[in-house]
Amino acid sequence: MRSQEAVADQIRQILADLTGDDRPLTAAPDTPLLRDGIGLDSLGGTMLMVAVQRTFGVDVAGEDLNLDCLACIETLAAFVAAHLTAA
Amino acid sequence: MIKCVVWDLDNTLLSGVYLESPDHPPAADPELTGVLAELAGRGILNAIASRNPPEAATYAQAATGHEFAAARCGWGPKPAALAEIAANLELGTDALAFVDDDALERAEVSFALPEVLVLAPDEVADAITWPAFSPSVLTEEGRRRGALYLQRRERQAQAHAFGGSRDDFLRSCRTSISIAMADRADLPRLHELSVRTHQFNSAGTELSQAALAGLLGSADHRVITVRLSDRFGDDGIVGGCVIATAEPGAPDPGIWQVPLLMMSCRAIGRGVIDALLAWICATAKTAGAARVAVSCVITPRNVPLRIALTGAGFRAAAGGGAGTAEYVRSLDGPLPAAPAWVGQEVP
Repeated sequence: MRSQEAVADQIRQILADLTGDDRPLTAAPDTPLLRDGIGLDSLGGTMLMVAVQRTFGVDVAGEDLNLDCLACIETLAAFVAAHLTAA
Repeated sequence: MIKCVVWDLDNTLLSGVYLESPDHPPAADPELTGVLAELAGRGILNAIASRNPPEAATYAQAATGHEFAAARCGWGPKPAALAEIAANLELGTDALAFVDDDALERAEVSFALPEVLVLAPDEVADAITWPAFSPSVLTEEGRRRGALYLQRRERQAQAHAFGGSRDDFLRSCRTSISIAMADRADLPRLHELSVRTHQFNSAGTELSQAALAGLLGSADHRVITVRLSDRFGDDGIVGGCVIATAEPGAPDPGIWQVPLLMMSCRAIGRGVIDALLAWICATAKTAGAARVAVSCVITPRNVPLRIALTGAGFRAAAGGGAGTAEYVRSLDGPLPAAPAWVGQEVP
Protein backbone atom coordinates (compact mmCIF):
# COMPACT_ATOMS: atom_id res chain seq x y z
CA MET A 1 0.00 0.00 0.00
CA ARG A 2 1.32 3.41 -0.89
CA SER A 3 1.38 6.16 1.69
CA GLN A 4 -0.20 9.53 1.00
CA GLU A 5 3.29 11.02 0.92
CA ALA A 6 4.41 8.57 -1.76
CA VAL A 7 1.25 9.31 -3.75
CA ALA A 8 1.91 13.05 -3.44
CA ASP A 9 5.41 12.56 -4.85
CA GLN A 10 4.03 10.65 -7.82
CA ILE A 11 1.44 13.37 -8.38
CA ARG A 12 4.22 15.98 -8.32
CA GLN A 13 6.03 14.00 -11.00
CA ILE A 14 2.85 13.80 -13.13
CA LEU A 15 2.40 17.57 -12.77
CA ALA A 16 6.02 18.21 -13.75
CA ASP A 17 5.55 16.02 -16.84
CA LEU A 18 2.27 17.75 -17.74
CA THR A 19 3.54 21.28 -17.35
CA GLY A 20 7.06 20.67 -18.62
CA ASP A 21 8.28 22.52 -15.54
CA ASP A 22 10.25 21.28 -12.51
CA ARG A 23 8.56 23.57 -10.01
CA PRO A 24 5.75 21.13 -9.08
CA LEU A 25 8.44 18.70 -7.82
CA THR A 26 9.20 21.02 -4.91
CA ALA A 27 5.81 22.76 -4.58
CA ALA A 28 4.23 22.96 -1.12
CA PRO A 29 1.45 20.44 -0.37
CA ASP A 30 -1.13 23.24 -0.26
CA THR A 31 -0.25 24.56 -3.74
CA PRO A 32 -3.52 24.93 -5.70
CA LEU A 33 -3.73 22.80 -8.84
CA LEU A 34 -6.07 24.91 -10.96
CA ARG A 35 -5.49 28.47 -12.11
CA ASP A 36 -3.10 30.27 -9.72
CA GLY A 37 -0.68 27.77 -8.28
CA ILE A 38 0.26 24.95 -10.66
CA GLY A 39 -1.83 26.84 -13.17
CA LEU A 40 -3.77 23.98 -14.78
CA ASP A 41 -6.66 24.99 -17.01
CA SER A 42 -9.54 22.67 -17.87
CA LEU A 43 -7.39 20.87 -20.45
CA GLY A 44 -4.49 20.44 -18.00
CA GLY A 45 -6.92 19.32 -15.29
CA THR A 46 -8.39 16.70 -17.61
CA MET A 47 -4.94 15.40 -18.54
CA LEU A 48 -4.12 15.19 -14.81
CA MET A 49 -7.21 13.07 -14.19
CA VAL A 50 -6.34 10.75 -17.06
CA ALA A 51 -2.79 10.40 -15.72
CA VAL A 52 -4.06 9.75 -12.18
CA GLN A 53 -6.41 7.07 -13.47
CA ARG A 54 -3.60 5.40 -15.43
CA THR A 55 -1.11 5.61 -12.56
CA PHE A 56 -3.30 4.73 -9.59
CA GLY A 57 -6.46 3.27 -11.11
CA VAL A 58 -8.53 5.89 -9.31
CA ASP A 59 -11.32 7.55 -11.28
CA VAL A 60 -11.35 10.96 -9.62
CA ALA A 61 -14.03 12.51 -11.84
CA GLY A 62 -16.32 9.54 -11.35
CA GLU A 63 -16.03 9.50 -7.57
CA ASP A 64 -15.72 13.15 -6.58
CA LEU A 65 -18.68 15.04 -8.04
CA ASN A 66 -17.44 18.37 -6.72
CA LEU A 67 -13.89 17.76 -7.84
CA ASP A 68 -13.05 19.25 -4.43
CA CYS A 69 -9.98 17.06 -4.30
CA LEU A 70 -8.52 19.13 -7.14
CA ALA A 71 -8.04 22.00 -4.66
CA CYS A 72 -4.33 21.31 -4.09
CA ILE A 73 -1.63 18.63 -4.26
CA GLU A 74 -2.39 17.47 -0.70
CA THR A 75 -6.15 17.07 -1.21
CA LEU A 76 -5.64 15.09 -4.41
CA ALA A 77 -3.00 12.87 -2.77
CA ALA A 78 -5.31 12.23 0.19
CA PHE A 79 -8.21 11.37 -2.12
CA VAL A 80 -6.12 9.00 -4.22
CA ALA A 81 -4.50 7.35 -1.16
CA ALA A 82 -7.91 6.82 0.45
CA HIS A 83 -9.28 5.18 -2.69
CA LEU A 84 -6.18 2.99 -3.07
CA THR A 85 -6.73 1.75 0.48
CA ALA A 86 -10.37 1.08 -0.19
CA ALA A 87 -9.59 -0.95 -3.30
CA MET B 1 -21.67 11.40 -34.65
CA ILE B 2 -18.52 10.86 -36.72
CA LYS B 3 -16.24 13.91 -36.73
CA CYS B 4 -13.16 12.39 -38.34
CA VAL B 5 -12.50 9.49 -40.71
CA VAL B 6 -9.05 7.92 -40.37
CA TRP B 7 -7.83 6.28 -43.57
CA ASP B 8 -5.30 3.55 -44.20
CA LEU B 9 -3.25 4.14 -47.36
CA ASP B 10 -2.06 0.84 -48.92
CA ASN B 11 -4.85 -0.76 -50.96
CA THR B 12 -7.29 1.66 -49.38
CA LEU B 13 -6.84 5.34 -50.28
CA LEU B 14 -4.08 4.28 -52.68
CA SER B 15 -4.73 1.68 -55.40
CA GLY B 16 -1.69 -0.39 -54.45
CA VAL B 17 1.16 -0.60 -51.94
CA TYR B 18 3.24 2.57 -51.55
CA LEU B 19 6.60 0.95 -50.72
CA GLU B 20 6.36 -1.72 -53.44
CA SER B 21 6.73 0.79 -56.23
CA PRO B 22 8.84 3.70 -54.94
CA ASP B 23 9.45 5.07 -58.42
CA HIS B 24 5.80 5.06 -59.45
CA PRO B 25 3.69 5.12 -56.28
CA PRO B 26 0.13 3.91 -56.81
CA ALA B 27 -2.56 6.39 -57.82
CA ALA B 28 -5.27 7.49 -55.42
CA ASP B 29 -8.44 5.39 -55.45
CA PRO B 30 -10.87 7.57 -57.42
CA GLU B 31 -14.02 6.51 -55.56
CA LEU B 32 -12.56 7.03 -52.10
CA THR B 33 -11.00 10.33 -53.19
CA GLY B 34 -14.53 11.43 -54.00
CA VAL B 35 -15.62 10.36 -50.52
CA LEU B 36 -12.86 12.54 -48.98
CA ALA B 37 -14.29 15.60 -50.69
CA GLU B 38 -17.86 14.67 -49.77
CA LEU B 39 -16.93 14.29 -46.09
CA ALA B 40 -14.98 17.55 -46.08
CA GLY B 41 -18.04 19.27 -47.54
CA ARG B 42 -20.07 17.98 -44.59
CA GLY B 43 -17.57 19.37 -42.10
CA ILE B 44 -16.11 15.93 -41.28
CA LEU B 45 -12.32 15.71 -41.01
CA ASN B 46 -10.08 13.23 -42.79
CA ALA B 47 -6.86 11.80 -41.34
CA ILE B 48 -4.27 9.14 -42.23
CA ALA B 49 -2.99 6.17 -40.22
CA SER B 50 -0.62 4.04 -42.26
CA ARG B 51 2.24 1.57 -41.88
CA ASN B 52 4.53 3.56 -44.08
CA PRO B 53 7.24 6.21 -43.82
CA PRO B 54 5.97 9.76 -43.27
CA GLU B 55 6.57 10.65 -46.95
CA ALA B 56 3.62 8.40 -47.79
CA ALA B 57 1.26 10.91 -46.16
CA THR B 58 2.79 13.77 -48.15
CA TYR B 59 2.38 11.70 -51.30
CA ALA B 60 -1.24 10.87 -50.43
CA GLN B 61 -2.02 14.57 -50.00
CA ALA B 62 -0.65 15.27 -53.46
CA ALA B 63 -2.31 12.22 -55.05
CA THR B 64 -5.76 12.95 -53.63
CA GLY B 65 -5.50 16.74 -53.74
CA HIS B 66 -6.82 16.74 -50.18
CA GLU B 67 -5.23 18.21 -47.06
CA PHE B 68 -5.54 15.90 -44.08
CA ALA B 69 -6.20 17.19 -40.57
CA ALA B 70 -3.71 14.72 -39.08
CA ALA B 71 -1.45 11.89 -40.19
CA ARG B 72 0.28 9.08 -38.28
CA CYS B 73 2.68 7.02 -40.33
CA GLY B 74 4.84 4.36 -38.69
CA TRP B 75 5.00 0.76 -37.62
CA GLY B 76 3.24 1.01 -34.29
CA PRO B 77 -0.19 -0.47 -33.62
CA LYS B 78 -3.14 1.21 -35.36
CA PRO B 79 -5.17 1.68 -32.14
CA ALA B 80 -2.32 3.81 -30.74
CA ALA B 81 -2.23 5.83 -33.97
CA LEU B 82 -5.99 6.43 -33.76
CA ALA B 83 -5.77 7.45 -30.11
CA GLU B 84 -3.00 9.92 -30.98
CA ILE B 85 -5.00 11.35 -33.85
CA ALA B 86 -8.06 11.75 -31.62
CA ALA B 87 -5.96 13.44 -28.91
CA ASN B 88 -4.30 15.67 -31.50
CA LEU B 89 -7.67 16.80 -32.85
CA GLU B 90 -9.14 16.94 -29.34
CA LEU B 91 -11.90 14.50 -30.25
CA GLY B 92 -13.12 11.46 -28.39
CA THR B 93 -12.18 8.19 -30.12
CA ASP B 94 -15.94 7.56 -30.41
CA ALA B 95 -16.02 10.40 -32.95
CA LEU B 96 -13.71 8.42 -35.27
CA ALA B 97 -14.39 6.10 -38.15
CA PHE B 98 -11.53 3.93 -39.42
CA VAL B 99 -11.20 2.56 -42.94
CA ASP B 100 -8.68 -0.21 -43.69
CA ASP B 101 -8.53 -3.04 -46.22
CA ASP B 102 -6.68 -5.34 -43.80
CA ALA B 103 -9.07 -7.48 -41.74
CA LEU B 104 -6.48 -7.98 -38.98
CA GLU B 105 -5.95 -4.26 -38.59
CA ARG B 106 -9.71 -3.73 -38.46
CA ALA B 107 -10.04 -6.46 -35.82
CA GLU B 108 -7.24 -4.98 -33.72
CA VAL B 109 -8.90 -1.55 -33.72
CA SER B 110 -12.34 -3.04 -33.02
CA PHE B 111 -10.90 -4.91 -30.05
CA ALA B 112 -8.84 -2.09 -28.54
CA LEU B 113 -11.24 0.76 -29.37
CA PRO B 114 -14.74 -0.72 -29.61
CA GLU B 115 -16.23 2.76 -29.84
CA VAL B 116 -14.57 3.43 -33.22
CA LEU B 117 -16.71 2.77 -36.30
CA VAL B 118 -14.57 0.31 -38.29
CA LEU B 119 -15.19 -0.06 -42.03
CA ALA B 120 -13.75 -1.96 -44.96
CA PRO B 121 -13.13 0.20 -48.06
CA ASP B 122 -16.10 -1.32 -49.91
CA GLU B 123 -18.44 -0.41 -47.04
CA VAL B 124 -17.61 3.29 -47.10
CA ALA B 125 -19.87 4.46 -49.91
CA ASP B 126 -22.91 3.03 -48.12
CA ALA B 127 -21.78 4.05 -44.64
CA ILE B 128 -21.60 7.75 -45.45
CA THR B 129 -25.36 7.73 -46.03
CA TRP B 130 -25.87 6.69 -42.38
CA PRO B 131 -27.06 9.31 -39.91
CA ALA B 132 -23.74 9.16 -38.05
CA PHE B 133 -22.16 10.81 -41.10
CA SER B 134 -24.90 13.37 -41.66
CA PRO B 135 -24.77 16.44 -39.46
CA SER B 136 -28.36 17.69 -39.52
CA VAL B 137 -27.30 21.29 -39.71
CA LEU B 138 -24.51 22.58 -41.90
CA THR B 139 -23.18 25.98 -41.08
CA GLU B 140 -20.43 28.18 -42.42
CA GLU B 141 -18.22 27.18 -39.46
CA GLY B 142 -18.96 23.53 -40.15
CA ARG B 143 -17.85 23.75 -43.76
CA ARG B 144 -14.76 25.70 -42.74
CA ARG B 145 -13.88 23.17 -40.05
CA GLY B 146 -11.20 21.45 -42.11
CA ALA B 147 -9.49 24.78 -42.72
CA LEU B 148 -9.80 25.69 -39.04
CA TYR B 149 -8.00 22.51 -38.00
CA LEU B 150 -5.16 23.38 -40.34
CA GLN B 151 -4.87 26.75 -38.56
CA ARG B 152 -4.68 24.92 -35.30
CA ARG B 153 -2.00 22.58 -36.54
CA GLU B 154 0.04 25.66 -37.40
CA ARG B 155 -0.63 27.08 -33.92
CA GLN B 156 0.48 23.80 -32.31
CA ALA B 157 3.62 23.63 -34.43
CA GLN B 158 4.54 27.14 -33.35
CA ALA B 159 3.76 26.36 -29.71
CA HIS B 160 6.20 23.44 -29.81
CA ALA B 161 8.85 25.65 -31.37
CA PHE B 162 8.21 28.52 -28.95
CA GLY B 163 10.93 28.98 -26.31
CA GLY B 164 8.99 30.91 -23.66
CA SER B 165 6.28 29.81 -21.25
CA ARG B 166 2.85 28.65 -22.36
CA ASP B 167 1.38 31.95 -21.13
CA ASP B 168 3.92 33.89 -23.17
CA PHE B 169 3.01 31.84 -26.21
CA LEU B 170 -0.72 32.40 -25.71
CA ARG B 171 -0.10 36.13 -25.27
CA SER B 172 1.90 36.13 -28.51
CA CYS B 173 -1.09 34.52 -30.29
CA ARG B 174 -3.10 37.70 -29.64
CA THR B 175 -6.13 35.67 -28.61
CA SER B 176 -9.30 37.73 -28.83
CA ILE B 177 -12.66 36.71 -27.41
CA SER B 178 -15.85 38.53 -28.24
CA ILE B 179 -18.97 37.94 -26.14
CA ALA B 180 -22.27 39.20 -27.56
CA MET B 181 -26.03 38.83 -27.39
CA ALA B 182 -27.11 36.32 -30.05
CA ASP B 183 -29.32 37.35 -32.92
CA ARG B 184 -31.36 35.22 -35.32
CA ALA B 185 -28.47 34.74 -37.73
CA ASP B 186 -26.50 33.00 -34.96
CA LEU B 187 -29.15 30.35 -34.22
CA PRO B 188 -28.03 27.67 -36.73
CA ARG B 189 -24.51 27.75 -35.30
CA LEU B 190 -25.75 27.69 -31.70
CA HIS B 191 -27.99 24.74 -32.52
CA GLU B 192 -25.03 22.97 -34.16
CA LEU B 193 -22.87 23.57 -31.09
CA SER B 194 -25.61 22.12 -28.89
CA VAL B 195 -25.52 18.95 -31.03
CA ARG B 196 -21.77 18.65 -31.53
CA THR B 197 -20.24 19.64 -28.20
CA HIS B 198 -19.74 17.07 -25.44
CA GLN B 199 -16.60 17.82 -23.43
CA PHE B 200 -17.83 21.35 -22.84
CA ASN B 201 -21.58 21.00 -22.68
CA SER B 202 -23.48 21.42 -19.44
CA ALA B 203 -26.87 20.22 -20.65
CA GLY B 204 -26.20 17.10 -22.70
CA THR B 205 -29.36 17.70 -24.75
CA GLU B 206 -29.58 19.53 -28.02
CA LEU B 207 -31.50 22.76 -28.33
CA SER B 208 -33.54 23.20 -31.52
CA GLN B 209 -33.43 26.43 -33.49
CA ALA B 210 -37.09 26.95 -32.60
CA ALA B 211 -36.35 26.60 -28.89
CA LEU B 212 -33.43 29.00 -29.23
CA ALA B 213 -35.62 31.47 -31.11
CA GLY B 214 -38.15 31.27 -28.29
CA LEU B 215 -35.46 32.06 -25.74
CA LEU B 216 -34.23 34.94 -27.90
CA GLY B 217 -37.65 36.55 -27.67
CA SER B 218 -38.01 35.93 -23.93
CA ALA B 219 -37.56 38.95 -21.65
CA ASP B 220 -36.03 36.97 -18.81
CA HIS B 221 -33.54 34.98 -20.89
CA ARG B 222 -30.32 35.93 -22.58
CA VAL B 223 -28.76 33.92 -25.38
CA ILE B 224 -25.05 34.59 -25.65
CA THR B 225 -22.48 33.89 -28.38
CA VAL B 226 -18.72 33.73 -27.94
CA ARG B 227 -16.44 34.35 -30.90
CA LEU B 228 -12.74 33.54 -30.93
CA SER B 229 -9.90 34.70 -33.12
CA ASP B 230 -6.13 34.98 -32.94
CA ARG B 231 -3.29 35.77 -35.30
CA PHE B 232 -3.61 32.34 -36.91
CA GLY B 233 -7.20 32.83 -37.94
CA ASP B 234 -10.81 33.52 -37.08
CA ASP B 235 -12.67 30.57 -35.51
CA GLY B 236 -16.06 32.31 -35.58
CA ILE B 237 -18.61 31.32 -32.94
CA VAL B 238 -17.02 28.66 -30.72
CA GLY B 239 -19.31 28.82 -27.73
CA GLY B 240 -22.44 30.15 -26.17
CA CYS B 241 -24.81 29.98 -23.27
CA VAL B 242 -28.38 30.52 -22.24
CA ILE B 243 -29.00 32.50 -19.07
CA ALA B 244 -32.26 32.75 -17.16
CA THR B 245 -31.86 36.11 -15.49
CA ALA B 246 -33.46 36.73 -12.14
CA GLU B 247 -36.76 38.56 -12.42
CA PRO B 248 -37.82 40.93 -9.68
CA GLY B 249 -40.54 39.13 -7.76
CA ALA B 250 -39.34 35.67 -8.75
CA PRO B 251 -39.10 33.14 -5.89
CA ASP B 252 -35.33 33.58 -5.75
CA PRO B 253 -34.47 36.86 -7.45
CA GLY B 254 -30.87 36.61 -6.31
CA ILE B 255 -29.84 33.81 -8.65
CA TRP B 256 -28.92 33.71 -12.32
CA GLN B 257 -29.53 30.25 -13.75
CA VAL B 258 -27.49 28.91 -16.67
CA PRO B 259 -29.36 25.97 -18.24
CA LEU B 260 -26.88 25.63 -21.10
CA LEU B 261 -23.18 26.41 -21.29
CA MET B 262 -21.26 25.05 -24.25
CA MET B 263 -18.02 25.41 -26.15
CA SER B 264 -16.44 23.68 -29.13
CA CYS B 265 -13.58 21.43 -28.08
CA ARG B 266 -11.38 23.06 -30.70
CA ALA B 267 -11.30 26.15 -28.46
CA ILE B 268 -9.97 24.15 -25.51
CA GLY B 269 -7.01 25.69 -23.72
CA ARG B 270 -7.57 29.13 -25.24
CA GLY B 271 -9.31 30.85 -22.35
CA VAL B 272 -12.83 30.84 -23.80
CA ILE B 273 -14.77 29.09 -21.07
CA ASP B 274 -12.88 31.00 -18.36
CA ALA B 275 -13.64 34.33 -20.06
CA LEU B 276 -17.31 33.37 -20.47
CA LEU B 277 -17.70 32.33 -16.81
CA ALA B 278 -15.94 35.53 -15.70
CA TRP B 279 -18.29 37.62 -17.85
CA ILE B 280 -21.43 35.83 -16.60
CA CYS B 281 -20.41 36.35 -12.96
CA ALA B 282 -19.49 40.02 -13.44
CA THR B 283 -22.68 40.76 -15.40
CA ALA B 284 -24.89 38.94 -12.89
CA LYS B 285 -23.30 40.83 -10.01
CA THR B 286 -23.80 44.17 -11.77
CA ALA B 287 -27.45 43.25 -12.27
CA GLY B 288 -27.82 42.65 -8.53
CA ALA B 289 -27.73 38.85 -8.42
CA ALA B 290 -26.13 37.13 -5.43
CA ARG B 291 -25.32 33.80 -7.08
CA VAL B 292 -24.88 32.09 -10.44
CA ALA B 293 -25.96 28.45 -10.88
CA VAL B 294 -25.00 26.26 -13.84
CA SER B 295 -27.14 23.13 -14.24
CA CYS B 296 -24.79 20.39 -15.30
CA VAL B 297 -25.28 16.77 -16.27
CA ILE B 298 -22.69 14.53 -14.65
CA THR B 299 -21.03 12.45 -17.35
CA PRO B 300 -17.44 11.36 -17.93
CA ARG B 301 -17.59 13.28 -21.21
CA ASN B 302 -17.95 16.75 -19.71
CA VAL B 303 -15.23 16.46 -17.07
CA PRO B 304 -13.29 19.31 -18.75
CA LEU B 305 -16.28 21.63 -18.32
CA ARG B 306 -16.69 20.63 -14.69
CA ILE B 307 -13.00 21.26 -14.06
CA ALA B 308 -13.41 24.73 -15.58
CA LEU B 309 -16.41 25.36 -13.30
CA THR B 310 -14.43 24.17 -10.27
CA GLY B 311 -11.50 26.39 -11.24
CA ALA B 312 -13.87 29.38 -11.44
CA GLY B 313 -15.08 28.75 -7.90
CA PHE B 314 -18.35 26.89 -8.64
CA ARG B 315 -19.27 24.01 -6.34
CA ALA B 316 -21.75 21.24 -7.05
CA ALA B 317 -24.87 20.76 -5.01
CA ALA B 318 -27.27 17.88 -5.59
CA GLY B 319 -29.49 19.04 -8.43
CA GLY B 320 -32.99 18.40 -9.70
CA GLY B 321 -32.82 15.00 -11.34
CA ALA B 322 -30.54 12.02 -11.14
CA GLY B 323 -27.24 12.51 -12.91
CA THR B 324 -27.37 16.28 -12.74
CA ALA B 325 -25.97 18.80 -10.31
CA GLU B 326 -26.24 22.52 -9.78
CA TYR B 327 -22.82 24.16 -9.83
CA VAL B 328 -23.31 27.29 -7.74
CA ARG B 329 -21.05 30.23 -7.10
CA SER B 330 -21.57 33.13 -4.73
CA LEU B 331 -20.89 36.58 -6.17
CA ASP B 332 -19.57 37.92 -2.86
CA GLY B 333 -15.90 38.80 -2.84
CA PRO B 334 -13.46 38.50 -5.74
CA LEU B 335 -14.95 37.21 -8.99
CA PRO B 336 -13.22 34.79 -11.38
CA ALA B 337 -11.14 36.53 -14.02
CA ALA B 338 -10.43 35.77 -17.66
CA PRO B 339 -6.80 34.82 -18.35
CA ALA B 340 -4.57 37.90 -18.54
CA TRP B 341 -3.47 37.02 -22.11
CA VAL B 342 -7.01 37.20 -23.55
CA GLY B 343 -8.21 40.35 -25.29
CA GLN B 344 -11.95 40.78 -24.78
CA GLU B 345 -14.93 42.53 -26.30
CA VAL B 346 -18.02 42.33 -24.15
CA PRO B 347 -21.48 43.85 -24.47
